[in-house]
Parts: sequence; C-alpha cells; structure tokens
Amino acid sequence: MGLLDYYKQFDAMSEEEVNQGLREQAAERRRKALTRIETLDLSLTTWPELPHQRIVNAITFQARRGLHRYPHLAGADLRATLAERHGVDPERLILGNGAAELLGAATRALIEPGQQLLAPWPSYPLFPIMARRAHGQAVRVDNNGGVDALIEAAAREPDVRVVALASPNDPTGELLASAELQRLLEHLPEGVVVLLDESLVEFSDAQPTSSSLALLEHHPRLLVFRSFSKAWGLAGLRIGYAIGSPGAGPVLAELEPDLGVSEISQAGAYEALKSCSELIDQRVQVIRDERPRLIAGLRERSFDVSNSQANFVWVAHPSVPGAELATRLERAGILVAAGDALGEPQHARIAIHSPAATDRLLNALDNAL
Amino acid sequence: MRSDPSENGGLFVGRRPGTAPVHFRAAPERGGAVRQRIDGSLASFMLAAITLLCLLCWGPIPLACLWLGSQANYLSGSVSLGILVSFAALFGLLFGALSLMKRADSAWILVRRAAGYDQRTGVLGRIFALTAIVCGVAFLLWFLVIHGPGSGLVTHGGE
Repeated sequence: MGLLDYYKQFDAMSEEEVNQGLREQAAERRRKALTRIETLDLSLTTWPELPHQRIVNAITFQARRGLHRYPHLAGADLRATLAERHGVDPERLILGNGAAELLGAATRALIEPGQQLLAPWPSYPLFPIMARRAHGQAVRVDNNGGVDALIEAAAREPDVRVVALASPNDPTGELLASAELQRLLEHLPEGVVVLLDESLVEFSDAQPTSSSLALLEHHPRLLVFRSFSKAWGLAGLRIGYAIGSPGAGPVLAELEPDLGVSEISQAGAYEALKSCSELIDQRVQVIRDERPRLIAGLRERSFDVSNSQANFVWVAHPSVPGAELATRLERAGILVAAGDALGEPQHARIAIHSPAATDRLLNALDNAL
Repeated sequence: MRSDPSENGGLFVGRRPGTAPVHFRAAPERGGAVRQRIDGSLASFMLAAITLLCLLCWGPIPLACLWLGSQANYLSGSVSLGILVSFAALFGLLFGALSLMKRADSAWILVRRAAGYDQRTGVLGRIFALTAIVCGVAFLLWFLVIHGPGSGLVTHGGE
C-alpha cells in the first residue's frame, strides 16, 4: 500500500454515501422480505399487533417518572375510568394482575379444601388448576349439556362452591346468553358463586357486552372478570379487573392483590382507555366482520365449526385430527393450536386476524386437505 | 395519573446529534505503534503549518500585496493600476492560501485518524478565528501604543 493510499483509507464516507448504502440495504431487505413468506401464527388468542405508541409512551413516561416507589395501591384513576365506562360504582370494581390472577384469588377465597369447582369442558385450562391450587377439586361438565347440565351437576354434587365460566368460552368461542346465565344464577343452590370470565367479550356481537353486568344488580353471587389482554392487546402488562354486585366490596377486597397492580400496567391500561377506545372498536369490528366469512369458508370445507363469538374458531374435520391439521398447516407457514392439550384431539383452535389472513388460511386448507 | 403520550420522560428516541460514528469504505489497516506516533507528530507539524499559513493571511500577505501595488504605481505612475494590482494580488493570494489550508485541514484529519484519534471534524475554523484575534490584538497594540497616538502622547508628554 502506497503512502497516500495508507492515509486515504481513513477518509470517511460522506453522509450522502452512507445514506445511499443504507437505502441499498433497505431495498435488499425489502426484496428478500417479498420473496419470504412470514409464518402466520393463528395459535394464540392474544391480539397480534404491537400496542399503540401512545400506550408505549405512557408506559415509558411512567417508568422514567420513578419506579423506586410503591404503586398507587388502589389504582384510583384507572378504577374510576373503568367504573364510569361500565356504569358501576368504583367500589364494586377492583384491579388485578390479569383476570387469571383474580379468578385464582376468587377460587382460593371461596373454596375450602375438598370443596368443588364446577366448569364446563372444554374450557379455559386454568379452571381445573385454580381448583387444585385452592386444594379443591374440579368437576368437568360436558359443554354440550349447556346450562342445564351445570344446574344438574351443582344439584347433584353437594360440595360445589364455585361455577367457573368463560364467555365467550376458550377454546370453543361460544357465548353464554344473558338469559341462560340468569337462569343458571336463579337455579344454582344457595352458596354457589359464579365466576364469569369475560376476557373475550369485546369480540362478541350477539348481545350487548354489558349484558352480564346488568345481572350483577340482582345477583350478588355473580362476579365478572375482564382483561386488557385480548382485544386491548396488552397481555404483557398483566392487568385485569373484577366487578361485583352492589355490596360485594368485602368479597372483592379479598381478591385484590396485596401490593396492588404495577404503575406501568396502570398507566398502559389508563392510556388505552383514554385514547385507544376507537382503535379497539375498529379492531373488534374487523374480527366481527371476518368471523362469519371464516366460519362459512370452513363449513364449506366440511369442518364442524362452533358458533364462535370470540376472536378464534374451534373446528373439527371429520377425517383429519387436530394435531394432523396443525402439522399440515405448519408446512404452509400457518400455526394453529391443536386440541390435544384440551382433551379434544379431533379439534383445533384457529385465531381470526385480518381478511388477508383468512384468505391465506382458506387457501392453505384447500391444499392441506 | 399523568400519562401524557407526547411526553417521553426525557428519553432520546434516536441518536444524540453529532455522535454518529465515522463510516469508512473498508476497515482501515492501521500501522503499528511507531507508525502511529510518527503520524501523531506529522499531524502536529501540519497543525503548525496551518497556523503559520493563517498568520500569513493577517499580515505578511496583505503587506506583500501593498508592496506589489506600490511597485506597480512606481513603475507605471498610475495610482489606479497600483490599487488594482494590490487587490488582485490580495484576492489571489488569500483565496489560494485558504484553499491550501482547507486541503491541509482535510489531510490533517486523515493523519490524526491514522495516529489513532477519533477525529470527526477539522480545526481550520478555530485556528482562523484564533489567529484573527491574536493578529487583531497585536495590530491594536502596534497602532495605538507603539506607533500611533500612544507613542505620540508618550513622546509629547516627555517634552
């Protein structure tokens, strides 16, 4: 290397040259991205998109403001906003680290060792675990029997203390009609409490999402649990809430986390309520529009599809078991949840995303079946 | 609860201004420690040369141009020609010197990098300003104290 060449190698690239290089790299990435088919994950029930930047900013602001202190235990602002949204007294609403934690706390508070938790099956896999952790026992009732089967089982089993329901139900997606819930509440034996998990209720359109809350006015044995994890797309924040009937304050106080909910979670949820309600309505509408199309498309392909009111469908094909269907779809770059884990090997749970995702799924099914 | 989404709590979203790394076309092959020390000395020498060139701009070059103009005036008997020659020489020499200094400054950056320093910018602007201040102060001292009213006052006071 010559003397001048030695020094010339320390010459920096101009800003324009650097930008040109970056532009070429970006074009190359785009070109590769177009030729690569991204995996479409339809196995999860959480929202597939990142949280809105306003929520992220609110969380960042809260984090930088000072995490050295304990959070506001009562979460007064968030509770007041939620209470106003649902038209209930703030005293009837408590916050928790996700609806699941509140459901677990309610089970532990209500069940004595040896007592029973009744749950339709298949349903939210946490229900039997909740009973076990409370040193109780889970009694599974066939989902096909509806409310009548639950009433019969509650009357038959003297140690039933809690009935745990998810509406819309995970994994079937079926919604418990308000009238049916009322019938259940009226016919259950004295002392049996209904824990209603409505984490997915925002996606339903068969009845107003506030139907169950209206029942709280006359049924003190009903507790309703909701979450920011699904339609609100904030599963990572672990925040949910429970609403009880008038006078349910003492019961709710037992469910509240001892040291409250983190300020970061409160800030994210509060900002979501304040500024992202319209966005949530839009994404929920996408699911509501896409759900009948996907169900119709699946039924055309000989699938048995539940009447889902959630952001997923629970399907069974007469000749292809759920695990086999999942494997075949995975080869096409689409992930779905096989029903084996829920004791329903013939079934699979498929999440609903965008119209493009529905088209891709139906095309993949045409090739896979 | 404060959750103003436009407030990021002081978080810098991008890189701080002026902290972009130097991008080379290829990773430079640096010399050994001795080579780097020599380059460091060379950079110091170049800095001294640039400083000297800057100092020339504030005194010797204008004086030389005035001398050239006076010679033209003397030889041609035309004051206008003398002024013209002076200005032409002044512009030519000043811009030539500035161009030379700019090149030397760019070369100085490369030598400094070769010597192992993360040199981002040149030093010409600062040296130019510094020499202007030094020469300006020196001129004022000469004009007001040594050769101007100051010296006259001292002389008249002595009488």
